[in-house]
Amino acid sequence: MTGLLRTILVQILAIALLNVGSPLVVQAEVIGTLAGLESAQRDTDLARVNRVLATAEARDQLQAYGVDQAQVEARLAGLTDSELSTLADKLESAPAGGDVLAVIGVVFVVLLILEAVGVIDIFKKFP
Amino acid sequence: MALAGCTLNPPRFPAEETAGLPPQVELTQVPFFPQKQYQCGPAALATVLRNSGAEGAPDELANEVYLPGRKGSLQVELVAAARMRDRMAYEIAKDLPSLLREVAAGSPVLVMQNLGVQPIPIWHYAVVVGYDLDAGTLVLRSGTTERRVMGMRRFMSTWNRAQRWGVVVLEPGQLPAGPQLDRYVAAAAGLEAVGRLEAAGQAYARAREQWPESAWPQLGLANVSYRRGDREAAEAGYLATLALDPRNVVAHNNLAEILSDRGCVAQARVHVEQAAALAKGTALEAAVAATAQHVAGATTADTAVSCQP
Repeated sequence: MTGLLRTILVQILAIALLNVGSPLVVQAEVIGTLAGLESAQRDTDLARVNRVLATAEARDQLQAYGVDQAQVEARLAGLTDSELSTLADKLESAPAGGDVLAVIGVVFVVLLILEAVGVIDIFKKFP
Repeated sequence: MALAGCTLNPPRFPAEETAGLPPQVELTQVPFFPQKQYQCGPAALATVLRNSGAEGAPDELANEVYLPGRKGSLQVELVAAARMRDRMAYEIAKDLPSLLREVAAGSPVLVMQNLGVQPIPIWHYAVVVGYDLDAGTLVLRSGTTERRVMGMRRFMSTWNRAQRWGVVVLEPGQLPAGPQLDRYVAAAAGLEAVGRLEAAGQAYARAREQWPESAWPQLGLANVSYRRGDREAAEAGYLATLALDPRNVVAHNNLAEILSDRGCVAQARVHVEQAAALAKGTALEAAVAATAQHVAGATTADTAVSCQP
């Protein structure tokens, strides 16, 4: 019994000793060009986007807006940190190009009138 | 001549703005993908991608850029989908002459339009493939119409309502007709940020040729070298960056990182201190502080290591 206890104790101490030299929090890495550019271009001292956090939020948003689970990760992979944060925060309000077929009812009539007087340009076959 | 007064969309450009442009251009070789319901994003993107020699059918692209909950596609996702094919979506300057210049140079321009009004926006993507200065018209691949001819005035009102957003899709190392340093380097840095290092490297190399006095392309090349594991080339690249811009925070920081890793702690300290001073109050402050801590914890190598650049 004491033998087993001693073995465990030795193992714990060995692991603890191995860890002494390693930094606890710091995960230093080189800074990417984009982060440098964005920092240089912005007047205000905006905090850098936390990629891990922004990715998690953007993932939730994409799923909430009907993106297939299987495609979410591939879509996130192409986005920069600030784009991820845009997606996370503004997915609801950012312009999404689609087309006009969703327009119905009163809105349709209003648009038809606006089209007729030349303000807008949706119904291309309308004279 | 009396009929001229009846023209709905007379040419509106002062001659000096369109000087040097051919009066009439149409890129007839640009493919056409008629859109499915709500999917003008994938269709327009497929058009410009195919034109730049990249793969991507609208159905495949719909998986990457279509948002069912919004019945449309977001600009950032179009840009990202191009990136993942090693293409650079370069945002053009927000004026019509710049747009026409790209078309004249052979690049179709993917534009966002708001076909509705501000309170009832109808967002739409289309691709400008031609224009006629005398007639005052543009030719677009739009929706299910292969050759939509639109008056410039009408186009401008729809483009204005979409903040005049337009991109050309460039092959790696290709320059747009109206290259601007900050836009171009930012687009290249987007490739770097998502790990498309080969394409990013080609774009930075082209940028360095175009703007030899700027530190940014040089920094980008150094960062690409670093991420590929070539630390020697990266170190030389950061030094070259600092030769062009002694106040470049990123170059100081990253150089300190490399130097401390190879045991040149005293030299690393010099650079990280400069980086810290320059980064004070900016978004990079925390990243530089992390490097400083890393350098402080590093051990100096034996004297055999050469720390002189």
